[in-house]
Amino acid sequence: MLQPGTQQAIDQSQLDKLLDLIAKEGMVDRAKLSMDATMESLGLKSSDLLIVLMAVEEQFGVYIPVDDSLSDARTLGDLVNALAGHLPHG
Amino acid sequence: MADGAHRRCVISGLGCVSAAGHGVAALWTKVRAGESAVKPLCLPRLEHQQVKTAAHFPGFDAASCLDKPLADSTDRFTQFALLAAAEAIGQAQAQAPLVFGDRMGVIIGSGIGGAVTSDDQHYKFYVAKTRTDPMTIPRVMPNAAASHISMRYGATGPCFAVSSACSSASQAIGLGLQMLRARLIDTCIVGGSEALLAPAFFRAWESLRVMTSTLCRPFSRNRNGMVLGEGAGVLVIEAEDACLARGAQPLALLAGYGTSSDAQDIVRPDAEGAARSMALALSDAGLEPHEVDYVNAHGTGTILNDSCESAALTKVFGPGLPGIAVSSTKPIHGHTLGAAGAIELIVAICALREQLAPPTINWLEADPSCIADPVPNAARPRSIAAALSNSFAFGGINACLAVTAYA
Repeated sequence: MLQPGTQQAIDQSQLDKLLDLIAKEGMVDRAKLSMDATMESLGLKSSDLLIVLMAVEEQFGVYIPVDDSLSDARTLGDLVNALAGHLPHG
Repeated sequence: MADGAHRRCVISGLGCVSAAGHGVAALWTKVRAGESAVKPLCLPRLEHQQVKTAAHFPGFDAASCLDKPLADSTDRFTQFALLAAAEAIGQAQAQAPLVFGDRMGVIIGSGIGGAVTSDDQHYKFYVAKTRTDPMTIPRVMPNAAASHISMRYGATGPCFAVSSACSSASQAIGLGLQMLRARLIDTCIVGGSEALLAPAFFRAWESLRVMTSTLCRPFSRNRNGMVLGEGAGVLVIEAEDACLARGAQPLALLAGYGTSSDAQDIVRPDAEGAARSMALALSDAGLEPHEVDYVNAHGTGTILNDSCESAALTKVFGPGLPGIAVSSTKPIHGHTLGAAGAIELIVAICALREQLAPPTINWLEADPSCIADPVPNAARPRSIAAALSNSFAFGGINACLAVTAYA
């Protein structure tokens, strides 16, 4: 479950889509996707994240280069926040 | 190793094709002025192209500079290499003829080889269902550039390609140096060539997420990736005794080469391995770290490369690092992958000969994980007697070349 109060510039439907994608493409149990879970604990390696990024691009029509926020992402919350900045608004 | 233990080797000719156009002068003009040759890129057959720029050569017309049969039968990467070789050999022969034949080798690196041909022919086979070129294989093979140079000039010594991604050209040059020192040959045409701005290859690079969709800004805060380039760099290197015997004046001394493998990760760089290649090049050249004046960094503009390379530079140069000019010229000529080591060594030689450290353009402000002063945005006059050129490749292959003023 998501932790309440996690800061995201992202609406609920985009967040749901994003978590669905991470679960599906990263082959992670959707129920384990809490914002404070580390990538390591979810078994998400850098190559898995590339697949997730590709799926996000297909779903949202955006390109996401690896910048500081993505590179430094240690938890799912970090990842979501990093991706949120690239998603179309609304 | 003591300098005196080696047969000294010199550089006597430089040649280049890049996004700046034909020739070393065109490249150096852009580099010294800090003007980027990156341009909009719109590839055919690529829906939803996400990254829209590259350092490419849109007006390149092989038929205008090569014999028609040669232009018709070669991939773009071979054409680039042939033109760069013609310039380098022309310069080397300006004062006195080179000796071709069995004592001349050709070693040309390429990360991929004939990518444009490969992409076009696969499209014909899978999609268009039309006849494919029966000469596809000899166009695509990574040794095509080396072989065509060998054929064109009658260089009948060792001839091969080195393929080690972004270290291909540096390793090709380094191997040539080692073969000269081992007295297997007296002259070697060395360098690298890459032309992979073809739709499926570009898409593959997009998928790796290492390309910027804005500007390439190495060592800067807010950098977010590299910009792809294309081109070729070729150098004529010779044993000093052979060069002087034929009556030519060297441009610079090819003083040292170091190479190492991270043996860690296929894409993630490692500061330890990168530092080791620099230390080996210094040792091979008989240089102390404090004697280096300029480093043309690998400096791709990705988060990881630039912080890792900064750590490696700190490891090698320690507290002396701020006294050395370090810059990345990739935002100007792009990351030319298998050609990068040659094009950037040519830039380092120009820097050495003009006593001018080229700038890292597009730099915004210091990133705490990177070197603080990468000659930001404007070239800097300074005394340069020794320079390094770094190449760090996918596959964990690191290569560093050292050049010094010829004296």
